[in-house]
Amino acid sequence: MSDRHDGSTIDLEKALVRYMVERKLSRRELLERIAAVGSAAALAPIIAACSTAGATPSPAASASAAPPPSAAPTASPSPTPVPSPETELNILNWTDYLADEVIKSFEAKYKVKVTQSFFSTTDEMYAKLGDDGGDYDISFPISVDVPNMIAKGTIAKLDKSLLTNIKNLGTEWANPGYDLGNTYSVPYMWWTTGVGYDPARLGGEAPTSSKALWDKRWSQHISMLDDWQEVFGLTLIQLGHSANTDDAAELDEALALLKEQKPLVRTYSTDTIGTMTSGDIWIGHIWGADRFAIQETIPDFAYFIPEEGGVKGSDTVATFSGSPHPIAAQLFINHLLDAEQSAANTNLIYYMGPNAAAKEFIDPAILDDPTINPDQEIVDKLEELLALDQAVRDEYLSRWQELRG
Amino acid sequence: MALLLPGVGWLVLFFVVPLAFIFIVSLGSRDVLDRVSLASPSLDNYFKAFDPVFLPTFLNSIRYAAITTVLSLAIGYPIAYWISRYGGRHKVLLIILVMLPFWTSYLIRTYSWMILLRDNGVVNSILQAVGLTHEPIILMNTDVSVILGMTYGFLPFAILPLFVSIDRLDANLVAAGRDLYASGRQAFRHVTLPLTMPGIIAAALLTFIPALGDFVTPDLLGGPQTTTIAKNIQELFLAGRDWPYGAALGFVLMIVTLGGTLLALRTLRREVIGAD
Amino acid sequence: MTTERNRWLSVYALLVYAFLFAPIVVLIIFSFNSARRGLVWQGFTTKWYPQLFSNDELIDALVVTLEVAVVAVLVSTILGSLLGLGLARLRFRGRGATETLLLVPMITPEIVMGLALLLFFLQLFDAHGSLLQLWVAHITFCISYVAIVVRARAASMNPQLEEAARDLGASAWGAFRYVTLPIILPAVIAGALLAFSLSFDDYVVTTFNSGVGSSTLPLYIYGKIKFGVTPEINAISTIIVAATALAILAAWRLGAFRGEGRAVVDEDAPPA
Repeated sequence: MSDRHDGSTIDLEKALVRYMVERKLSRRELLERIAAVGSAAALAPIIAACSTAGATPSPAASASAAPPPSAAPTASPSPTPVPSPETELNILNWTDYLADEVIKSFEAKYKVKVTQSFFSTTDEMYAKLGDDGGDYDISFPISVDVPNMIAKGTIAKLDKSLLTNIKNLGTEWANPGYDLGNTYSVPYMWWTTGVGYDPARLGGEAPTSSKALWDKRWSQHISMLDDWQEVFGLTLIQLGHSANTDDAAELDEALALLKEQKPLVRTYSTDTIGTMTSGDIWIGHIWGADRFAIQETIPDFAYFIPEEGGVKGSDTVATFSGSPHPIAAQLFINHLLDAEQSAANTNLIYYMGPNAAAKEFIDPAILDDPTINPDQEIVDKLEELLALDQAVRDEYLSRWQELRG
Repeated sequence: MALLLPGVGWLVLFFVVPLAFIFIVSLGSRDVLDRVSLASPSLDNYFKAFDPVFLPTFLNSIRYAAITTVLSLAIGYPIAYWISRYGGRHKVLLIILVMLPFWTSYLIRTYSWMILLRDNGVVNSILQAVGLTHEPIILMNTDVSVILGMTYGFLPFAILPLFVSIDRLDANLVAAGRDLYASGRQAFRHVTLPLTMPGIIAAALLTFIPALGDFVTPDLLGGPQTTTIAKNIQELFLAGRDWPYGAALGFVLMIVTLGGTLLALRTLRREVIGAD
Repeated sequence: MTTERNRWLSVYALLVYAFLFAPIVVLIIFSFNSARRGLVWQGFTTKWYPQLFSNDELIDALVVTLEVAVVAVLVSTILGSLLGLGLARLRFRGRGATETLLLVPMITPEIVMGLALLLFFLQLFDAHGSLLQLWVAHITFCISYVAIVVRARAASMNPQLEEAARDLGASAWGAFRYVTLPIILPAVIAGALLAFSLSFDDYVVTTFNSGVGSSTLPLYIYGKIKFGVTPEINAISTIIVAATALAILAAWRLGAFRGEGRAVVDEDAPPA
């Protein structure tokens, strides 16, 4: 970046716009073209137009030891440079879901100003993103929701040539079911969902089954997540069914069991940290990583994945078809895949990332914790919550409504 | 007449028109990808909205709103009276003091109530220390905590209009009332109360109506039995991704509430105020 | 008799204020909690205060919140007061409809209003949320509250007072300014105070109408629920309360709140 003269970034934006207008390309089509032929070839005319002295790749590109994969022969004779990003990046995120240092290092490296906006539930995030991402460049959709976004055209294809760090992903993440080949998204964090409890409150007992959440002795001190898919998932697995079943009879069975539980439940809440640390809840349905946070207040707080089976989930980081700063977005995604950056995030929020290379930088306490970072064989046995068809989803939701009404 | 135009104009442009957009959505349906489709508009969602599964939550909402309103008025009237009568030069200061707690974050205030009401919380500790109870009583996640939280949140909305109305009382009228009626209580009933009725009605409106639509307080402070219709509507939009259905249910709630409110107002006006 | 009633009433008043401030006291105490998350007291620390000053996002959110609230209060108070006054005074054919129009925003579930405005701005202006959009949204939901409070006050005012002033030679503006305005002013201020509280704490309508760079404090705070709300939030709330209290105190010292202070009832009148 330091090689470029001051006006180059602005010139590039103007050049990009002119490029698009000349070829009557929409932003999405441009990105598709980039994905198809490699950014170098697609943008070659623009890059060549910029001062040739400044064609030296920025320090970021030096991270890629191998030349970026390119389907078509590159027309430009100079070494493939990383295109200059726009000057701003808009992120839509939970508060505190990105480490400060990750953002600051990105800002410094690419001279991009990052602005974060917030939401408090995933469904709110989707409403704010709308059909094309709105004014946001980066957000973190849950993996279950990615297929729907792909179908709607909300999410933009990734430019693998810019994602040089993608090799850092653990092999188990290379081809996730919800997004084959990581074409549109890159995994961000993953987690397990299970049961957490305060051993002191349970009189020293150490349950291993999710049936403990139905134990009448803990009546009025039980909490469940306020999430229909998680709650039904747990119950279905307990009954020996798949957490993603579409069988109405099985769902009815689960509903009946949940109705039995309802009088014992103190609250359905996703504020697991708040409710568990208040002392009112002794045993609850929580996400694995929350245990770490709760342990700051209740040092002996325990967590287990039910012996009947558990659920795992993940979210992703993605950019969108209407994003105003596509290049910066791609570079940011790449930045997140960097081993040290990924580790910084994990160390902040206590969730494990999919980044195999990051492991050497992650806080050992987290790495060794079997609840946040269980052994691969345990992880393999967990069932992943999948994107459900609308009709099936409605089956779940109408029963959820019946339960919660 | 010109007085009204800016306000009405604003509301028409920035409220009625957007609401019309949502109304149109309510006539549509959801396509396979959860997007709103207006391919075949119909009133189907409205018929679906009259699903009996919503009745318990609707009744919950009415119950909480009604109790909250009664409590807010009952608690608010005497304090508004006190500020007006004894506030003296510091009346405005005392009123601002009523509002001050609400210029903090709602969430943190709710957390503070959780700290106070939880099983090992301040309230339970005091009750046990004083000897009224021997083990913690469950206050959080119950009707009690919801109503307490809602009343707390809406109290200023009752106190302020009540104060404004009470403060307007002509001292001579009240004194005359005391001369006319045998006891202070009768004077209150026959003079003060009717004269402050506009304030009472305003306070009731500003409490009951928003309370009916409050879903956050019952959600955070309540438990499984305290679900409100507002939460149902919220869930339809967000978790259900069914904007048309959620919109229809929302409109049904609005129509029912509006109808009820207008009816109540008309009755009250005729009986109590006469000409207004 | 009267003095005893006075005393009970005063005790009552104290209890009500205690009720109003009880959570605030807890809030302030817990801003010194050394636990990063959770609602349990773990020890005393003042570290959250300096920390929040270096938290740019939090400060930005506070600034945006104030930017939105100030404009929203100003505009909604003016529009609402005029509306309330007009409704109290005038008798015209569309009166019932206007009254109803006033009630509907309050009846509308917040998510419906939030999404309605989102759609409005999206479809008509291809806008995705901004400070301007927040102003519009907040003004819209505040107007009704101001109007209802002002109307209640204006309704109990003798309309002939203004007429009398006009007869005596005052201009329309003069009659308004010297007769009507002082009478409805407490209601206008009360409405403004309510509007400010509504705007400051709003979440649902705000989240769907905020955009890049226009995240308010509630959005920041609620976004923290998932990973734990830290005492930083308590700290900033404490600072806001303290700053406001100080400002009020200063204004009071400068004589801002000295009204005529007439009593409602003449205490020295002989009992009936």
